Amino acid sequence: MTIGAAQPNDNVPIVLVIDDCVDVHRLLAARLRNEALELVCETSGEAGIERVHQIEPSLVLLDLDMPGMDGFEVLRRLKDETSTSDVPVIVLSGMQSPSDKVTAFDLGAVDYITKPFDLMELRVRIRSALKMRHLIQMLAQRAQIDGLTGLWNRAHFDERWADETKRAERSGSPLSLAVFDLDHFKQVNDTYGHPAGDTVLQGVARLIQNIARQADIACRYGGEEFAIIMPDTTPEHAINLCERIRVAIIEADWHGKPGQRITISAGVAGSTGQTSIGRAEWIEVADRNLYRSKSEGRNRASMTDVGSKGPRLADAG
Amino acid sequence: MSDEQGTPADQPLISEFASDPDMIEIVEYFVEELPKRVAAIRSAVTDSDAQSLKTLAHQLKGAAPGYGFTVIGEAAGVLEASLRVSDGSIEGVMGQVEDLASLCQRVRIR
Repeated sequence: MTIGAAQPNDNVPIVLVIDDCVDVHRLLAARLRNEALELVCETSGEAGIERVHQIEPSLVLLDLDMPGMDGFEVLRRLKDETSTSDVPVIVLSGMQSPSDKVTAFDLGAVDYITKPFDLMELRVRIRSALKMRHLIQMLAQRAQIDGLTGLWNRAHFDERWADETKRAERSGSPLSLAVFDLDHFKQVNDTYGHPAGDTVLQGVARLIQNIARQADIACRYGGEEFAIIMPDTTPEHAINLCERIRVAIIEADWHGKPGQRITISAGVAGSTGQTSIGRAEWIEVADRNLYRSKSEGRNRASMTDVGSKGPRLADAG
Repeated sequence: MSDEQGTPADQPLISEFASDPDMIEIVEYFVEELPKRVAAIRSAVTDSDAQSLKTLAHQLKGAAPGYGFTVIGEAAGVLEASLRVSDGSIEGVMGQVEDLASLCQRVRIR
């Protein structure tokens, strides 16, 4: 499920050591043998930066005094690049001057350990940095999740939609967007009360989540509106998935809360790989299809291949 | 921890971590490799290769304390600093090379 895939990584954290001295690698490996972490080592700043991009470590232990690119430069580059700027860096150094420490912190290091390592100090500082990293990731993720349904929220949708449209444009791969709106939801709230309305929203979210695939990004878009970003998915495949969701929802038994069937309308806009449509316009096309589904009787899905001209109506329910 | 500096020149020099079970294995490794490092330092001296000598001293300065040989790290640090001052002259740092080499000769696993 989408949410599960992006939860904070519960696996063993990877700690990357960047130090020109192999002895330090060996010492750290011995010192941290019993810690719940995986150690990866590089001997130069250049190789270290490349590794950070590759493995996205939970923590970097960085030597300052290295031939070639020194630790300060490595730190500067990691912090300058958006994709690596959040990785916490603990600076390791034999240099004991306070100005080096200040420079390291100014450049964005989270901590500083002087060599030779004191075993206890090393362990607690690493643990503390990893814990902080975990908490920050959790907070960042909470801020992207809708509290009621557990789906991604609107902020996350906006971010991912921008990413995925860029990615599709670059790679020429298919991409589809589906938007959903519950039919007559206001009436459900008015007749059965808001707790029943919330139950419906949660139930629909669960059905969407169950039917969506691992790579799909299922979001609560607004009040009773949902959206699914489907990377590498043609509009034909996207509308099939919408149909399955539509059917699952109409078949759902709400056990009297509310005491009626619920239906959903959907609009899809997707590209098979070649499209010149802008990402805001792309959403508008999906929205127009949604309102077409509404105006044509609800409980149905309509789609447009944004790679071709003119909307095409899919099988109605 | 390190009172080796005051001990006679023929006393064995043992790692400060000799009894740390986490460390025994890599301390042994360091001790076994140490003669190679000393040989490399000597051949840098023979070749008048100040740059290599400085690198070797720098590495030993960083490594030795981690294996529990603080005094060797200090001696290597003195050699590195002297090389910086001597401006590439090996002759001017021979005393520091000998100090470091004789400390290394005293190193034993236990």
